[in-house]
Amino acid sequence: MAKWKLTKSQLRDAGQGYLFMSPTIFTILVFLIGPILFALYLAFNNVNLLGQTSFEFVWFDNFTRMASDERAIIALQNTAFYVVIVVPTQTILALVLAATLNAGMKGEKWFRVIYFIPTLTSSAVLVMIFMWMYRPDGLINTILSSVGLPTYNWMNDPSVALISIMIMNIWATAPMFMVIYLAALQGISDSLYEAADLDGASAIQKFWYVTVPLLRPVTGFVVIIGVIGTFQLFDQSYMFSGGSGGPNNSTLTVVLLIYQYAFSNNQMGYAAALAVSLALIILVATFIQRKLQKDEQL
Amino acid sequence: MERAKWIKGLGFMSVVMAGTVLTACGDDGNNNTDEATNGNDTGTNETENNANQNEGQEEVTVRLTGWQSSPTEQRYFEETIAAFEEEYPHINVELDTIADQYMDVLRTRLIGGEAADVFFLDAFEAPGLIEAGVLEPMDDYITDEFDVDDFEDPLIDAFRRDGQLWGLPKDTSTLALFYNKDHFEEAGIESPPETWEEMEEYAETLTDDNRYGFGIVTDLARLYSIAESRGGDVVVDNQANFTDPAVIEALQPIVDMRNEKEIGASPADVGAEWGGDMFGTERASMIIEGNWMIEFMEDAFPDVNYGVVEIPMIEDERQTMAYTVSYSMNAQSEQKDEAWKLVEFLTGKEGMEIWTSSGLALPSRQSVAENMDYADDAIYEPFIEGASYATVWADDTNLPIINSNFENQFSSAFLGDQTLEEAMEEAERVANNEIQD
Repeated sequence: MAKWKLTKSQLRDAGQGYLFMSPTIFTILVFLIGPILFALYLAFNNVNLLGQTSFEFVWFDNFTRMASDERAIIALQNTAFYVVIVVPTQTILALVLAATLNAGMKGEKWFRVIYFIPTLTSSAVLVMIFMWMYRPDGLINTILSSVGLPTYNWMNDPSVALISIMIMNIWATAPMFMVIYLAALQGISDSLYEAADLDGASAIQKFWYVTVPLLRPVTGFVVIIGVIGTFQLFDQSYMFSGGSGGPNNSTLTVVLLIYQYAFSNNQMGYAAALAVSLALIILVATFIQRKLQKDEQL
Repeated sequence: MERAKWIKGLGFMSVVMAGTVLTACGDDGNNNTDEATNGNDTGTNETENNANQNEGQEEVTVRLTGWQSSPTEQRYFEETIAAFEEEYPHINVELDTIADQYMDVLRTRLIGGEAADVFFLDAFEAPGLIEAGVLEPMDDYITDEFDVDDFEDPLIDAFRRDGQLWGLPKDTSTLALFYNKDHFEEAGIESPPETWEEMEEYAETLTDDNRYGFGIVTDLARLYSIAESRGGDVVVDNQANFTDPAVIEALQPIVDMRNEKEIGASPADVGAEWGGDMFGTERASMIIEGNWMIEFMEDAFPDVNYGVVEIPMIEDERQTMAYTVSYSMNAQSEQKDEAWKLVEFLTGKEGMEIWTSSGLALPSRQSVAENMDYADDAIYEPFIEGASYATVWADDTNLPIINSNFENQFSSAFLGDQTLEEAMEEAERVANNEIQD
């Protein structure tokens, strides 16, 4: 028992510590923990906020409703498809870009800056520019047709619209991860490459057997952040479809659906339930990913 | 090491939770800041009041929220407001414009108790807000002098519910057929089409490598009266009824014009922003659009030589759509009397005359329409004529859901990805499923 008793000076130390932390603790409580708890509460209620505010506790009704909500299922399918394509593509692209920039080319500093520019652009501006290029008579179709390739109705064809968003997003986010890879690459000791040289390894073998394995922890990080970011796709599909998720629900993502239920359909409870479910899905995906990575290390 | 990883995992998790949850709770955060700003507003108003005591009456600020689609519209609107402020010097009107997603913003403000005293409300969205009980009924404010019977019945009825009036239509717009006179001349067509069959025939003649004969806007808001032109009903008992054979039969020609006959296309097909853009850039020779096009054409495409006629008859009957927007009052407003004065002026004969003299929208009062001299104007005539038989774009609380499901599925049938029957079945099923929840 005596162990737990704090001396006066220890108490003062602790008090001081908490005092210094109090702004952060307060901010976290109000803007992070509070909203999370409130969202959990909302998820189990039928909520009406417009006019007569009412909360009606409905147990798991909001969650069971998802099973029969076709738009929720479509949104989840679209989002999952998006994650499965975008995460590997942007990770590989980032790695390749980083490796080329680390190879000691002339003017590579300039290339680093140029590659990084898409990440600095605000996503709204980016979407506007891409929507303009994606027009049926826009830049991309003009280039495609001039080299004899088929053209697409990038924004209005349901089978292409989500892919258009994927291309745009890969282009915009890969450089961000490229920078992370670049930092990690510079941490790999030259002696390993020298040793590989002595063993007569080719450039590709060096990349595959030295660079890639040593970057594995960074790859884990990049993939997790990528999964989280892509599951939360919202702004691009919102702007692309004017908030509707069309054409034919092809750009409807889970977060866009949450937005629609919360702000257009005034069903805050169901929207919160969807948000909680999405958080759980991402959590599970993250844990699976970490588990896989750990197995590899053993 | 193990533990550190666990903690990192938790870190990721909280980031995720925060990200998703904050999306859902965005409005709560906003409320706080909004309230704070509002507190400041009242503060400044009070000091102003003290300074301007010489009027004898206390100065009041009434907030008005709406949307403006063009600088010209803004100018005329400000003129109308200025006329009001001249007549009621003690009332200041604070105009605030919501640029995008008007209803989402308005609803969120209503939830937070921060909505303006008076706001625009589309007839299409009105039943939802009336049901929610956030609007102030207007019956008790209306005087005999205001002459409420002067409003066109179908327009004002869109804002009646439970025996009370919840908004006054500020103006109206209808649809008519715009046709490019030069294209008609080139193709040797002498007069604009009278019937739908004639129109399809002309569209075929007019279509060439650079343009389509007919531009098609695929919104339910535009197609509603066409869909009902063969005796079907699109909405029955507040539920979608798209699978009615008469509805499908009426919509089929629209889809066929694009996919079978290849004489029509939507603005998106040719990379145009909207119908006006498509018609103005001469990528469609005919298009059904509203009276808002007149000002747009004058501004953006003054060289296009066009004419306007009533929409061609289907089954020997005329049909068109009418859209209307009301001024409605916030039930939580603290200055309802002054808010009413504003609505009374804006929808009264004098205010409406100033506003509709812009030609951007048609008056919703018969007496004002009669006084305006544009009844003789060949360009405006089809719109005025149309008002007498138009279907008003308004139904009941579920129309927004019905509308969004229609658009989603119809667009895929329009693109030829599925047949119209399949699309309408799917749209009806999903819409009614959503309604029951």
